[in-house]
Amino acid sequence: MGNRLKRMVALGAAGVLGLSLAACGGDSNDNGNKGPGGNNGEPGEAGGTLTVLQHFPFESSDPNRIYYGVQLASWRRTLYRGLVAFPMSEDPAVANTPVADLATDTGTSSEGGKVWSFTLKDGVKWEDGSDITCEDVQYGASRSFANDVIIGGPTYLLNYVDVKDYPGPYKATPEQQQAFDEAVSCDGKTITFHFNKPWADFPQAIAGLMMADPYKESQDKGDGSKWTILSNGPYKIEGNKWDKNKGATLVRNDQYDPATDDPEQLRLALPDQINWEVNPSDTAGELFNDRLIQDGPKDQAAITWARLNPAQLSQISGPVEDRYLNVVSPYTDYLVLNHKTLTDPAVRKALAVSLNANGYIKATGGSTVAEPAETIINPGVSGSQDNPAFAEDNDNNGDPEAAKAILEEAGVKMPVKIKLAYQKSPTQDKAMAIIQQTWNESGFEVTLDGQGDTYYDVIAQPDKDIDVMWAGWGADWPSAMTVLPPLFDSRPNFSSTTCGNDYGCYESDEVNKLFDDAANAADVDTQVGILQEIDAKLGEDYAYIPLDNQKFNWLRGSKVTGFTTTPASSQYPEIGLIGVAK
Amino acid sequence: MEQNAHMDEKQPFLKVENLKVHFPTQDGLVKATDGLSYALDRGQTLGIVGESGSGKSVSSSAILGLHRGTNAKVEGRILLDGVDLLALNNAEMRKLRGKEIAMIFQDPLSAMHPYYTVGNQIAEAYRVHHKVSKKAARTRVIDMLELVGIPQPDVRFDSYPHQFSGGMRQRAMIAMALINDPSLLIADEPTTALDVTVQAQILDLLQNLQREFNTAIIIITHDLGVVAEMADEALVMYAGRAVEHGRVKEVLTHPQMPYTWGLLSSVPDITGDPNARMVPVPGNPPSLLSPPTGCAFHPRCVHRDKVPGDLCTTELPDLVPGPRGGLHLKRCHLADPESIYQNEVIPEIAPDLAEER
Amino acid sequence: MWAYAARRVVIGILLLLALSLVTFILFFASPADQAKLACGKQCTQAQIAVTEKALGYDKPVYEQWAGFAKGVVAGRDFPIDQAQREAAPETVTHCAAPCLGFSKYYGETVNSLIKDYAPISISLAVVAVVLWLFFGVLLGIAAAVTKGSILDRGIVGLTLLVYAFPTFFIGVFFLKYVVVKWGLLDYPYYTPIAEGGVWGWLTNLWLPSLTLALVFLASYVRMTRAFVLESLGEDYIRTAKAKGLNSRAVLFKHGLRAALTPLVTMTGIDFGTLLGGAIITESVFAYPGLGLLTVQSSQAWDLPTVVGIVLIAGSFVVLMNIIVDIAYAFIDPRVRLG
Repeated sequence: MGNRLKRMVALGAAGVLGLSLAACGGDSNDNGNKGPGGNNGEPGEAGGTLTVLQHFPFESSDPNRIYYGVQLASWRRTLYRGLVAFPMSEDPAVANTPVADLATDTGTSSEGGKVWSFTLKDGVKWEDGSDITCEDVQYGASRSFANDVIIGGPTYLLNYVDVKDYPGPYKATPEQQQAFDEAVSCDGKTITFHFNKPWADFPQAIAGLMMADPYKESQDKGDGSKWTILSNGPYKIEGNKWDKNKGATLVRNDQYDPATDDPEQLRLALPDQINWEVNPSDTAGELFNDRLIQDGPKDQAAITWARLNPAQLSQISGPVEDRYLNVVSPYTDYLVLNHKTLTDPAVRKALAVSLNANGYIKATGGSTVAEPAETIINPGVSGSQDNPAFAEDNDNNGDPEAAKAILEEAGVKMPVKIKLAYQKSPTQDKAMAIIQQTWNESGFEVTLDGQGDTYYDVIAQPDKDIDVMWAGWGADWPSAMTVLPPLFDSRPNFSSTTCGNDYGCYESDEVNKLFDDAANAADVDTQVGILQEIDAKLGEDYAYIPLDNQKFNWLRGSKVTGFTTTPASSQYPEIGLIGVAK
Repeated sequence: MEQNAHMDEKQPFLKVENLKVHFPTQDGLVKATDGLSYALDRGQTLGIVGESGSGKSVSSSAILGLHRGTNAKVEGRILLDGVDLLALNNAEMRKLRGKEIAMIFQDPLSAMHPYYTVGNQIAEAYRVHHKVSKKAARTRVIDMLELVGIPQPDVRFDSYPHQFSGGMRQRAMIAMALINDPSLLIADEPTTALDVTVQAQILDLLQNLQREFNTAIIIITHDLGVVAEMADEALVMYAGRAVEHGRVKEVLTHPQMPYTWGLLSSVPDITGDPNARMVPVPGNPPSLLSPPTGCAFHPRCVHRDKVPGDLCTTELPDLVPGPRGGLHLKRCHLADPESIYQNEVIPEIAPDLAEER
Repeated sequence: MWAYAARRVVIGILLLLALSLVTFILFFASPADQAKLACGKQCTQAQIAVTEKALGYDKPVYEQWAGFAKGVVAGRDFPIDQAQREAAPETVTHCAAPCLGFSKYYGETVNSLIKDYAPISISLAVVAVVLWLFFGVLLGIAAAVTKGSILDRGIVGLTLLVYAFPTFFIGVFFLKYVVVKWGLLDYPYYTPIAEGGVWGWLTNLWLPSLTLALVFLASYVRMTRAFVLESLGEDYIRTAKAKGLNSRAVLFKHGLRAALTPLVTMTGIDFGTLLGGAIITESVFAYPGLGLLTVQSSQAWDLPTVVGIVLIAGSFVVLMNIIVDIAYAFIDPRVRLG
């Protein structure tokens, strides 16, 4: 029992720890396989105490250092309001468009997306009763630059803000600070960001991430501020300090004025109190769901960030099923082809054509844990559409005959030797063996290479002898800009010792040029169009082969109302909608 | 039943009748003591002699009831002042232990608890049987320590056993044994662990105390020299049985049993003849699990050929009066042990004695 | 004897300093890229370099250790970057001697971390040691005095069976079945005495301590049984019986006293080790003690915390060894005076 349990938990944790993600989405209406019946979607009433069961520790409670998707999403609803925020809609078209939060509107851009301005609403306050000022936002943005103190958070601002050699607010000389204050400038309640290049999806970026959230300078103790919380949302923390390994109790913030907010779209804040319980034990996730299945009196008003494991899925029947959700997650798994060893396009195509994705999914747990993917861009990301290179040719069972025909036509000597690497686990061993089997029937001779903890370091090496590698990714915000460039733009990835996240060492001047175009696009629609073009090109080159979109399985206590997932909540339970029945 | 004729007129103080101590083990029944009888009067000393494993200590422990609570099977009768000790319940027996019957052990260092002071341990023995204050017990113990010849007894009271010399420890043990004025004292190899000079002091002490308290003493030893000095009567044990029993002088000067000869010949005599040969008893002590048939001593007996037929190997000899009279009992098939002893054994072990005659 | 104890303390301190140096060396001898592990998701080469400098990992090992040792003796100010300390005094954390360092991972001084986490490990260890000593010694004596009987075999067999189960399994079994499925006990959360009173503290420690105690129970039963049997075979037990003492006095006053010595040694060392954190039990029950801190900080390659814990755990062991030696002298007069 022990081993299996650990493995489940480890796999569950990998999704959260290894991949990380920010707000992004999946269309739970179209793709979600929601539990039938039940009152999951029914709106609740105010009052009561909600329990949040969390099976892993956060890395910080400082907005500038937060990078966990579920933390970003749930704290946006409870503790930290942003200039803009993603709405709580299940429809990705609505959900992926930010709405105004602390700011009066969703921002005004000029100079082709290089300048963005936001104006703060009147009456928005910190929990200590002081007003949230433009200078607070300015100071918050400046903290990103102190990357020797603020470690672990997103560093996008460093690449965009039009300032040189700014070391962050702690060590800046008056001149350096002056330069930053001009790049991110305040005029009354209006803050203006000046970038060195266009940033079309900036509102999306700061709706999902908290890198441009306000931060009150007088609260900043540098390293000592890692776990303090000064809230501006509907809740505040008792004691103002988050306990990494215990969590905290959230109570109503009496300085929060719903009139300055858009509760319907952004945060209903129904419970009077939230007991946020962190349990970093390896077995916590399984036990939390055991408790929710049991639905004892103390757990009826509880939700958990831990997904049901396959063994527990068999217990979801009868009344328990009413409390169950099955949704497509923001994580997509894919195979990377090593362009240094697999130089023949026919071989790459044959691999893609004969990939048995269905068999792989079946081996990992079946349709409740994953669905076949037709592109690396998760369905929750803006502009996700089936990649013609993978969607058209087969039914995801793999077609050995077609593959052999391709190899034969190209005059490739069969069998082609292939080394397939993946991160070792009993489930992955089983699933990879399925892929291996179909490929072996398709003119290949596949050896499996199950790797340990250093897997991602190994597959980043430029001179590896591995031909095909398993990998997974989740977007930072629902834009393919956080999917394709980090994975396939050779320029930031390559160095003498590593191919970075471009595990296949894929390098295409044509694609790199398109990346520049996308980055410089003045508006999001143009940008999406270019990214779709890039994905098609990547498909033609077989830079990757999509495998599956992971699915999430959630359970709630019987008194939890408004239980659903949204793209903004990374398909985790949307805490902004949740209430507790009396 | 064998009985000592000279004790017939009145009931002796201690009377052991056909005592058997058997230990059931996984390999079979170990007959450590198998039918032992003797009697002892107050003020008298019985020396029980034998090799290790001959059953001498086991039989004495039986008198103290130390086999209670173990799986040993004890049969027969042990009459102390007419009371059968084997018929007493545990609580009654415990009241006699240390009070009426006391015991001195071979190695006083291991026989005393290393973590408690000597005085404490003696006082404990006193307070088990006397309801007195600690202070009163202390006074009594100090008196007793003084009696057994320990200097500065009030200081030594608070010393630990390891701070005593070997002789002092044994004196303390004697003090512990005698603190309740026992009527019977069992001394199990009381001097074995001591230097020769200290041995003599301890034996003197025991004799003096015996005279003072009129105690009956059983002294268990493998050393005939100790028996010669201390005992009035000697009982030689072999393989769980008495093989020779009589007045000490009688047994030592006219031994009737080849085993006793062997014991005598293995006593080094520093005052004796330098030409004397020390002749150890050949062979090993018998297994008590499967003792030899017939006479248990026959595998080691060099005089077996003097007994007609295979009597020695087939028939266990009775403990009967020997040729020298009714008070001297022997368990041997030899028809005329006296002449063999005088003519064959003496010349070998004490040539000067043989020449004198 | 006190001079002896003082000498032991001095040796212990030198030992601990050496221990911290070894930890530093081992930490940097590992093939892991410590800075990369700390720098988060967007880890460019430049960011790794910045992180490494911020953590002080770019300096030579001896220099880092010297800084640490200075902090232990004289206290230290953080961050170690002097420029920032001067430019932004509001971000300075003073760490008074004996300063064990500042963890950027936890955002506080290692001293205050240990102050937060140690009471839980100590509570666990104390309750567990009481449980396993009470039941272990009791069952061990019962087994010894009934040697060879069904009771004896039952006790030894059962404790051995429990011992065969991994701690992880027992802990998870308690949580999954006793608490969640059967609802026999409330889910345990560590509750300080200040919050829940002694009773609240104790009831919440019940399951994790029992889990911990069960691991040690078997060996204490077997040891007690063996020591008592050995002691009951001693000559002085025969003497005690021959005095006419009743069997209870013989067993408890004379028999157990000698069996106590090796038990005290075992208990002292086990207890000292446990004070440094019960890694598996704390992890399973999510009791934020030093064991959990050990796992977390090692996984995050957080050097200051790792060194701090090694030192604290080490000093617990050193301290318990000294206490055991002193206790020896109280138990065994031969040691005291010899």
